[in-house]
Amino acid sequence: MDYIFHLTTLSSIFAILAIGLNLVMGYTGLLSVAHAAFYGIGAYASAILMRSQGMNFFVAMGLGVLLSMGVALLIGLVLSRFDGDYYALASLGFNVIVFGIMLNWEELTRGPLGIPGIGKPKLGDHTIFSNMEYFFFTLFFLIIIYLLARLITRSSFGRTLKGIREDETALQVFGYKTVYFKLAVFVIAAGMAAVAGSLYGSYITYIDPKTFIVMESIMIISMIILGGLANNRGAVIGATFFVLLPELLRFAGFPPDIAAHMRQIVYGVLLILLMMYRPQGLFGEYKL
Amino acid sequence: MDFVVQLTINSIIAGSIYTLMALGFNLTYGATKFFNLAHGVMATIAGYTVFYFSSQPLYISIPAGIFAAGLVGYVLDRTIYSPLRKRKASNMVLLVASLGVFTALESLIALKFSSQHQSLPEIFASVPTFNLFGGSFTAIHLLIVASAAVCALGLHALLKYTLFGKAINAVSDDEEVSKIVGINTNRLMGQVFFVGSAIAGVAGILVGFDTVIIPIMGMPLLLKGIIAAIIGGLGSLWGGVLGAFLLGFVENFGIWHISGEWKDVIAFGLLILFLIFRPQGILKKS
Repeated sequence: MDYIFHLTTLSSIFAILAIGLNLVMGYTGLLSVAHAAFYGIGAYASAILMRSQGMNFFVAMGLGVLLSMGVALLIGLVLSRFDGDYYALASLGFNVIVFGIMLNWEELTRGPLGIPGIGKPKLGDHTIFSNMEYFFFTLFFLIIIYLLARLITRSSFGRTLKGIREDETALQVFGYKTVYFKLAVFVIAAGMAAVAGSLYGSYITYIDPKTFIVMESIMIISMIILGGLANNRGAVIGATFFVLLPELLRFAGFPPDIAAHMRQIVYGVLLILLMMYRPQGLFGEYKL
Repeated sequence: MDFVVQLTINSIIAGSIYTLMALGFNLTYGATKFFNLAHGVMATIAGYTVFYFSSQPLYISIPAGIFAAGLVGYVLDRTIYSPLRKRKASNMVLLVASLGVFTALESLIALKFSSQHQSLPEIFASVPTFNLFGGSFTAIHLLIVASAAVCALGLHALLKYTLFGKAINAVSDDEEVSKIVGINTNRLMGQVFFVGSAIAGVAGILVGFDTVIIPIMGMPLLLKGIIAAIIGGLGSLWGGVLGAFLLGFVENFGIWHISGEWKDVIAFGLLILFLIFRPQGILKKS
């Protein structure tokens, strides 16, 4: 039972990541390969604040979200000038740079050693410790993020994003400053990723730079492509599938290191097949 | 002073490897206009093919490695990219599909040969080392620089003086019109993938002889190749070469006073500077 709650907690964390990225990729049509960077910034910021300043989880998470959004604002100012392949490549570059900083700024991040012993969140006097409690705690955040994403995508702001995706020039003709919209959605998504990062660090109690590599960004992209672009429910389903798949492979009796490679092969083949036969994903409303 | 000489030598070696990656990438990008992320894994395939044929003499295993990379590139185009192109899929779809190809192939290699690094057989009985103005380099490094020069000049000649090369240029300029004048563009793309992937294979094998081969070697090589191609001017052969050497120098001199771990950060910093201030690259393609 504990194990099931472990999996559902991880699924919820990745669902938060997927929902955030879906706003950028599915609704606005920008292929961002930097999502794991903001996930990492959130995780590192709250872990460091909790450990060195003894801060409360919620305060640390809030500051992590703010930091992540601030960084996203700076990066986004550059990124919003691009679209298509160049957007993908430049955002990938930022992921590599953020990873490099996590790995090399040892005074702050302890480099490749990572940060162990991250505290659990406290509600009043009660520490959220068991897997079951942590799952409901994470689910609470997932629901908030989900509702927030729904609110955004159904608002006029969300419709403008879809407009940018379909025809950016046309919107510019109508007088929309599309750069600001692209920037805003990027910053919002980075904030959501930071929430996931704080939850992840506190749940696993240990983080290291390897968790936030480019491959992780690619995995989140795969999740929303599978679940369906521009569909919030699809993002949750895609994230759940990608968390459960390696467990299924393990149950099928593959040893862990072989299962890890098998998982990657399945991801890869899945991406190819989706692109060839269903580029909008399972429940998607938008084709790349 | 010796330090500057050594850094210069290192930059030239790195620039040569990036040249090889950029040449093939530019060639396929020019013809197909999409970012083929599976290009890096072609280098890995060639390296591991040489490793697989370790018991054979090098004059068999090296050509086999280059051929294997080219063949995989060709087959990928036939089975995946070409059907997608026929369906008028967007560049994004092709990019994500190539990402899937990259992930699957890299893991297949890791599954077959383990994710640990391996050594290729020795190319020289004892690797001769040379000294020049206080800097040192090995015969393998010399081979890397020579191979980059041969491949760049060879590709230049191929594009300029053969009918095949002229057809590639035509397709790069305008695919629709090329079809009208009777070029079998679809078949040509397959051949372009063969040549481009084979050149990436050369890079992979040389890296293997210089250091080691490891399944994850493809992505870093590809990224450096793409950066070189973009800062040089996408689709331009000599632009890619120029970009590769600029990248090699900036990367190696950039870590003069800081740890070598920062190399990737510097490389992507350079890319982003170019994307902001000169997105068309050093040499604008005419």
